[in-house]
Amino acid sequence: MTTTPPRPAALSTTAAARRVFEVSFGEMLWSRRTIFMALVVGGPVLLAIIFRVVEAFGAPALRVNGARVAGGSVFGVMIWLLYVRFIVPVLGLFYGTSLMADEVEDKTITYLFSRPIPRGAVLLGKYLAYLACTGLVVLPSVMLTYFLTVPFAQVPGTFRSLVLDLAILAAGLAVYGAVFAFVGARLKRPLVGGLIFAFGWEPVVLALPGYLRQFTVARHLQALVPHAMPSDSALSLIQGLFRDVPSVPTALAWLTVLLVAFLWLAMRTVSRREYVLEQ
Amino acid sequence: MPIHDQGYQRYKGERFQTGAGWQVIAKAGIRNVLVQRKYLGLMLMAWGPFIVRSVQAYAAANVPQASMLALKPETFRSFLETQAAFVFFFTVFVGAGLIAADRRANALQLYLSKPLSRWEYVAGKMAVLFVLLLAVTFLPAILLLFVQVGFAGNFSFVRANLYLIPAITLYSLAQVVLASMTMLALSSLSKSSRFVAVMYAGLIFFTSALFQAVRGITTKSSFAWLSPGDSLDVLGDAIFRLPLRYDLPVWGAALVVIGLIVGSAVVLERRVRAVEIVS
Repeated sequence: MTTTPPRPAALSTTAAARRVFEVSFGEMLWSRRTIFMALVVGGPVLLAIIFRVVEAFGAPALRVNGARVAGGSVFGVMIWLLYVRFIVPVLGLFYGTSLMADEVEDKTITYLFSRPIPRGAVLLGKYLAYLACTGLVVLPSVMLTYFLTVPFAQVPGTFRSLVLDLAILAAGLAVYGAVFAFVGARLKRPLVGGLIFAFGWEPVVLALPGYLRQFTVARHLQALVPHAMPSDSALSLIQGLFRDVPSVPTALAWLTVLLVAFLWLAMRTVSRREYVLEQ
Repeated sequence: MPIHDQGYQRYKGERFQTGAGWQVIAKAGIRNVLVQRKYLGLMLMAWGPFIVRSVQAYAAANVPQASMLALKPETFRSFLETQAAFVFFFTVFVGAGLIAADRRANALQLYLSKPLSRWEYVAGKMAVLFVLLLAVTFLPAILLLFVQVGFAGNFSFVRANLYLIPAITLYSLAQVVLASMTMLALSSLSKSSRFVAVMYAGLIFFTSALFQAVRGITTKSSFAWLSPGDSLDVLGDAIFRLPLRYDLPVWGAALVVIGLIVGSAVVLERRVRAVEIVS
């Protein structure tokens, strides 16, 4: 008499997500995309190096009305204009929309879905790998930029602000990533919707009075930034005019709600949607 | 049963004259875009500003109280500036896959095994973007000029601002050629159209953010050369005989635009090849 071997217990969502994370993290980190990411985050570092060199020679380019530009202000401008407004949304968009779309495009999603793991765990694991991968590249670049721009004597007084900046950028990557992971899981061409959201909807709605601003990530994220918002363009001036900064607890609560809601929606979409692969 | 020789047979089909092969690619590409509803929808949206400006011209010509709405030479500049958003979206949606999709499907070798030169292939692909982008820049702008004449019932505006016709033509061409060449070059660099779209968005928005950051630090707008979009704006101001918005000389702006176009041509020359050498 033969006995069938006992069926192994199915992996829980957490355990399955950990397995997917382990596989995806290495793939993501050592891909050509990381070169793109390194180029993007290398911009502020390069700018900081130029700033440091120019400042070392006391060039007049860094003097406004005869006064020297403070390193802290330079760092603040970079955090606002380069990281918060550009790098975080773009990386969230690029990686978030790719989480599922890449597998569909490469026709490898079938292999993932044929594993005995919950489908939602595939997205969760890949999302965590995205967070780790972008965090490992973006946050050191912020540290480098900080140490290049802020004079050593000012480090003890401003270090708390750096830690806050790092936390804000990590939160931004997490929330934008969740939003775009949902977009990537839901739409056939996710980049189109993502680009419209990040570079169309968000800047325009932030310049409008009323409640529409609640439906952006930028409003809640920007409320946490400790540096003063630079007025670099007409749109920024209008945004500053209508800017009602929510309190830190409110902004944090909104970001948490957005993160959880969109991640749950993305996992639910992946669990329920039937992906039809193009022949 | 006789066995017929299946060896070499002379081509008995119609022969196109040399150098006309690009038209086939262009026609097929444009047809492929125009049959898709989403692109038609985008095209309709792109003509929205034209309708608004036409109503403005009508009101200015027929309602005495609305005479202050009369079209001015600056209106045409600002109209083309509005269209820049549609140029971006059309370039990303239509252009990202133009060469990348062929590289992904290994179709480049097939194309170039036909009596078609590399430059004809590039010209055909570029013509797709070129025609569509002119349809949202040059065509509505020049039609707006005719609409103004139609509603005013005289040629006095055109006669007084005769430079508008070459200005609209030249600026539209600069916008379209820059966008088409840059996108084609980026499209030839990757097999993923999503990656290409993100690279293009990165090029436009990141360079602009970098310029704004440098401007914020130094309070000098002469660094506009860092951003191709802002350099094009300076060039547009000069073409429309308006005061320059940044302290960048016109030759500097022209150099950036021409440099990017030439750089794109060099990339295309290196990337579009019939044989790919894999090391």
